[in-house]
Amino acid sequence: MLQGLYAAASGMEATQNQFNAISNDMANIDTTGYQATEVGFQDLLYSGGGNSSGSPSISTGTGSSSQIVGRDQSQGAIQSTGRSLDVAINGPGYLQVRRDDGSIGLTRDGALQANAQGEITNSTGNPLVPPLKVPKGDDVDNLKIETNGQVISGSKTIGKIDLVNVPAPNQLQPDGSSMFSVTSGSGATRPASGSTIQQGALEGSNVDVAADMTEMITAQRSYQMASQAIQYQDQMMQIANGIKK
Amino acid sequence: MDPGLYIAASGMLAEQVRQNQLSNDLANASTPGYKPDQAEQQSFGSLLLQNTATGQSVGTINTGVRIDKVVTDTSPTTLNQTGQPLDFGIAGTGYFAVRTSSGVSYTRDGQFASNSQSQLVDQQGNLVLGQNGQPITVSAKGTVPGSALGVFNVPNVTKQGDNYFTGASTGKASGVVHSGELENSGVDAVQTMTDMIASLRAYQAGQSALQSIDQTMQEDATSVGSIQG
Repeated sequence: MLQGLYAAASGMEATQNQFNAISNDMANIDTTGYQATEVGFQDLLYSGGGNSSGSPSISTGTGSSSQIVGRDQSQGAIQSTGRSLDVAINGPGYLQVRRDDGSIGLTRDGALQANAQGEITNSTGNPLVPPLKVPKGDDVDNLKIETNGQVISGSKTIGKIDLVNVPAPNQLQPDGSSMFSVTSGSGATRPASGSTIQQGALEGSNVDVAADMTEMITAQRSYQMASQAIQYQDQMMQIANGIKK
Repeated sequence: MDPGLYIAASGMLAEQVRQNQLSNDLANASTPGYKPDQAEQQSFGSLLLQNTATGQSVGTINTGVRIDKVVTDTSPTTLNQTGQPLDFGIAGTGYFAVRTSSGVSYTRDGQFASNSQSQLVDQQGNLVLGQNGQPITVSAKGTVPGSALGVFNVPNVTKQGDNYFTGASTGKASGVVHSGELENSGVDAVQTMTDMIASLRAYQAGQSALQSIDQTMQEDATSVGSIQG
């Protein structure tokens, strides 16, 4: 009897996860290089609920579950800023930076800056990998970054911004601050194929507001209906209790 | 004892199973490629009634109902555009095949991804198979042409959970794979809610019948034998 109650409750929980994911996306609509979350739903095991029906062959489902299965890899809108150290990635791939603990972080947030030593870092001060240093006396505003990542100061090439990607971007671990870590599931980094760098621009988040709003409405209705289902089951138990007055 | 008591109770038990099945459908209203169930009712064998004085047959009486089987409605539903390169939907009939630890399973949920070896996998990390039964390679750009995915015809599927079905494939199905799309859940929320209400009321009617019969028996027990006056 109670199985239906729990099936409906699991549906509410699955929808709750979807809500959380959408809310997070909405909160990051203006986050540079943010990649929207993707939620996946599954049905749960089918078990023999048939004993009460008098037929052992009957199995009914036990509800649904959901989880974040990865990040939307589609391109966000490229917004021109005119700043020489803003770079947008056109196509799949990530910039690499070295974090304070020495590990490598991947990010699509291309709001770069130069620190006091002339090293090019991301917006939180983590230097790019491979390192890139502006020669003393050169003006960072005059840097020229080619679409292939070549960085030219004055007339000489001072380095290259490498774009990397992994075989399974869905398995990258999000660390916050628009940063991801490579995991064993994602595979090792390799050069990103077919992607280019655009100087003087930033990539906006790829959250699709219209799609998210629609999902929000459907999620809300699913939630409501599952809660109604729980009420029906509750009512049935009440009826069963009322057989003997 | 009055058979009506047991008939009414069997009807209530059948409605409980139906509620469980409907709740599960409703919980999966957002599950891509989910196929709704239908609980089919069947009556128990009927009894032949005979006139106790003459032995003449007077007809039959049913002895109640049970849920005989749960049938899955596998008909294809609409595809929903997601724009994700590794989302796939089958327009028409057929199933994707994935290699699980317990053999090949089939699914209509095409929300796939790449693994660390650049092979196409499902959300459980199981390899998605082509028509030749071999794993599929994801290109360096992160795409797979829809034609690389196998579409298998599987009659008589059984649900396994995790959006998997099992069954014996009989070769290629006629469905066409669309990339960047997912199949919607086959659950019709309005229909399911209506069924739930109908089932609830049927349950309630069973309870009322039980109570009426109980009342009749109470009369039998207390009034028939009492001496008035």
